[in-house]
Amino acid sequence: MEHPKDDGLVEEALIELIVNGDACKIRVQANWTMDYVLREKLGLTGTKEFCGQGACGACAVIIGGRPILACMTLAIECDGQAVETVEGIARAKHPLIEAYVKHHCMQCGFCTPGFVVTAKALLDKNPSPTVDEIKEALVGNLCRCGTYPQHIKAVQEASRILRGG
Amino acid sequence: MNNEELSRMLESFDNLKADKYPLKEYLNIGRPGVRRMDGVEKASGAARYTIDVQLPGMLHGRFLTSPYPHAEIMSMDTSEAEKAPGVRAVLRYDDPELPEKASLGGHEPGPAVVLPRVAHFQGEEVGAFVVADSEEIAEEALDLIKVEWKQRPFVLDPEEATKHGAPIANPEALPGTNVDPQATYIEKHGDVEKGFAAADKIIEFKFYKRLDTWVGPERPCGVFRWNGETAEVWIKQQRPHIAKRHIATWFGGIPMNKIDLHCLYQGASFGGWSQSQWNLGGHYCAALVSRRLQRPVKWSFSQREDFYGGEMDDGVYDYKVGFKLDGTITAIEAHALLTNQWLPVFGILKHVHDNTRIPNLYAKTEPVQVNKGPCYATRCEQNSNCHSMTQIFARVAAELGMDPTEIALKNDGAEGHDMAWLDQRKAEMGFPVNDSLRECIEKGKAAMDWDNKWHAPGAKMLSNGRMHGLGFTWSHEWDDSAGSAEIAIYLERNDATAVILGCHSDVGVNAQTAYCQVAADELGLRMEDVRFKGQMDAGFYTMTADTSTNMSVNGAAVRHCARLLKKKILDLAVAPRGVTQLKSFPPAFPGKKAEDLEIKEGVIYEKANPANRMTVAEFIGPSGAMGPLLSTIGEPVWAGKEGVNYPLRLTPPIFEHAWHIQRGAYIGVRLRLCRQAHFMEVEVDPETGEVEITHIVNANDVGKAISVEGCQGQQYGGAIMAAGRGHSEEVVHDPNTGVMLNGNLLNYKIPTMMDVGPIDTILVESGMGYGPYGLVGIGEDVATIMPTLIGTAIHNAIGAWVDGYPATPDVVLKALGKA
Repeated sequence: MEHPKDDGLVEEALIELIVNGDACKIRVQANWTMDYVLREKLGLTGTKEFCGQGACGACAVIIGGRPILACMTLAIECDGQAVETVEGIARAKHPLIEAYVKHHCMQCGFCTPGFVVTAKALLDKNPSPTVDEIKEALVGNLCRCGTYPQHIKAVQEASRILRGG
Repeated sequence: MNNEELSRMLESFDNLKADKYPLKEYLNIGRPGVRRMDGVEKASGAARYTIDVQLPGMLHGRFLTSPYPHAEIMSMDTSEAEKAPGVRAVLRYDDPELPEKASLGGHEPGPAVVLPRVAHFQGEEVGAFVVADSEEIAEEALDLIKVEWKQRPFVLDPEEATKHGAPIANPEALPGTNVDPQATYIEKHGDVEKGFAAADKIIEFKFYKRLDTWVGPERPCGVFRWNGETAEVWIKQQRPHIAKRHIATWFGGIPMNKIDLHCLYQGASFGGWSQSQWNLGGHYCAALVSRRLQRPVKWSFSQREDFYGGEMDDGVYDYKVGFKLDGTITAIEAHALLTNQWLPVFGILKHVHDNTRIPNLYAKTEPVQVNKGPCYATRCEQNSNCHSMTQIFARVAAELGMDPTEIALKNDGAEGHDMAWLDQRKAEMGFPVNDSLRECIEKGKAAMDWDNKWHAPGAKMLSNGRMHGLGFTWSHEWDDSAGSAEIAIYLERNDATAVILGCHSDVGVNAQTAYCQVAADELGLRMEDVRFKGQMDAGFYTMTADTSTNMSVNGAAVRHCARLLKKKILDLAVAPRGVTQLKSFPPAFPGKKAEDLEIKEGVIYEKANPANRMTVAEFIGPSGAMGPLLSTIGEPVWAGKEGVNYPLRLTPPIFEHAWHIQRGAYIGVRLRLCRQAHFMEVEVDPETGEVEITHIVNANDVGKAISVEGCQGQQYGGAIMAAGRGHSEEVVHDPNTGVMLNGNLLNYKIPTMMDVGPIDTILVESGMGYGPYGLVGIGEDVATIMPTLIGTAIHNAIGAWVDGYPATPDVVLKALGKA
């Protein structure tokens, strides 16, 4: 991090991130959210912005093993962190992607990446989630098209595949 | 006109009879488990939306919005904003290049103010459009604009708006009144006075439906770039062809062939927003500034701006219903005041007329202007009709102590006629004579265990202290909008994979996969060898995927195109493939007729001798240098070298096109044959007024399902949206200031994964739809028919009627006399 100005406020800084396994350095302004940096500066537009105030989960990314709302997270505070986005999950050929396709978990698709990321974080932590645990994990992800019933089936299927079933 | 053209012409008219071309065998159509074609793109984050577009040098535009519900700009100082670092332009309402009006949106080109001086609702985009290096800079610059506003009196409530002396909400559009008598919709069938005289009982009731809104997850936005004299536009629009028509009228006229359009995936679009004039104002402003600065400009609304406007059912409903003691309804009189109808108001008893034998109907539906955002058809304009269906049958059943499904079946019919009459019409039109409503009800009741659970209102308390309730509603399936679809299909050389071309937007209903299912089965190709390719600039304008007309119109065009293409392939397979000066090249299937051949799984074969076969790919041949190298007179140019045995592929490009036209089917065009029935189970806490939706059953007669999962998605997706509309979603305005109070997802409550219990989806396939294979639409229906169903379930639980929707806890407590 760089030295603060005289008024004690940092206006911008050069931070290091590991995004989907790729190290990158980027100069960020203090008020830039992680969502903004991923989308506008790194071109990773799979991370979406719906509500812009932490109410919908469309911007979920995984940081420190947890699903984080990127629209509520300042990039400047993530210096040195590893960030996993939906693009990284897809690149790793995580079984969630195919399970989501098979079970038609998307309609317009705008919120889908946020669900995939949140579900990935759940499965990382809990490889065999119950239906209630899946619901609890995904309840913060909003889908205007109402695809909810399908996500449970897809997460269960991905869980089975990950466990070798 | 030759036979081929005649065939195309005949097929272009809408079907008013049963489908002429059912298939003997359905391989992909209706098969569960067909892979969703946009699935990987959407699940992996690769799918691109307009808000994702980033172009070199792109600027960002944002609008000034009105702080008042009704106000005009008297003067405006933009000098500070113009000087702000990073601001590249401030377009003002009084800019000399702005026309007074331009064609901005709607079904057809029509004039609208691009950048208004007068605001008619709080939050309306008015006065200034700031373009800057970033959205953030543009937004900050908006705060630097000094406006002298002249506030005007405002009115928010539809009943208040009709009173003498009420403030006039929009004198620019409707001077001197808030109700346009010319826009009032009157429905009259039979003689209601006679019907009431014949009734054993008459009930009267009234309820409110409060404003809900669409809340698309992708904010309204667009991008405009000029490439020399060519305009390149990215639009979030359900009707890209109409957007192109509008844009072509701007700046003195832009030739259609100089507009390059991109309509990417859309972050939810449920009809209305795409048709609003106000959404294309952004495009016009962006186009103007982009032309001045010679840089691409992306305009967008803020998340909050996405909450203005809403559905067309916001208003007040009054009914008087007369009926016999056996449940036969003899007359209905209805009146509704519906706010800010940006499309022609829709009569509220039309579904009753469409679906029942009730002979005497009178309804007056009045559009009233208030100072809130515009109301558009948002999945869809027929919801006020559906509320009528839900409430009338439930209230009559409750009054008689009968099961509402019995009341529905007793009155089922069409246009004042009974089922015997309707069955005769079905037979005359060539449809199978099925009792659609009865089948939907029987299957739905079984899934809900209705017969065991049904009880008298307020009669069942559960062990958790909550009251148990059941609700039921019904109507017809619809696919009504007028429009046309043009479709082309070509087969690629080398591998004979098929590409379906159409100027088309995606609204998430899995339409692309469904088109491919139709084309694959019709052409005899494998599903994985067919792709739909949405394109914007090669013509082939399709009907929008909204309004449930997707498969009935676009599907018909795809089906006919595929049939013509298959005919072309088989005709070519038996024709000489070429005659040159050196020799003639024999047919692929010498001595055979087209009707001797069939295509299956990408192979052309002789029906009587399947061993006589050739893949379509072999038949079409390779492309380019490996293909038909012919001189201008048709000789192989390498003949001297290769000899006449060079494996020429003398097939022309394998390409076809077709179209289909549907008249608007709203008014007296078609008898309604397919029905839908919906069931809801709730638990009501009588202390808190909280309602939990514990189980939903949707039974939809879709005639014929093409994409099974697509249909099911519309069922559970629609049910969840409807649950929000009926239970939790309301755009709230401060009555004192007219300011919208909950323009965000923290305070505007759309359902979460935990807000609705299990949803059973039942597809009935009666074959009685007017679309190809007997299908009928489903996309709009469920979300539209179900919103006030929760009120009938609440009544069954607590024995009292809520007087408004959404049925939030305070509304339920009011019904219980506790608030």
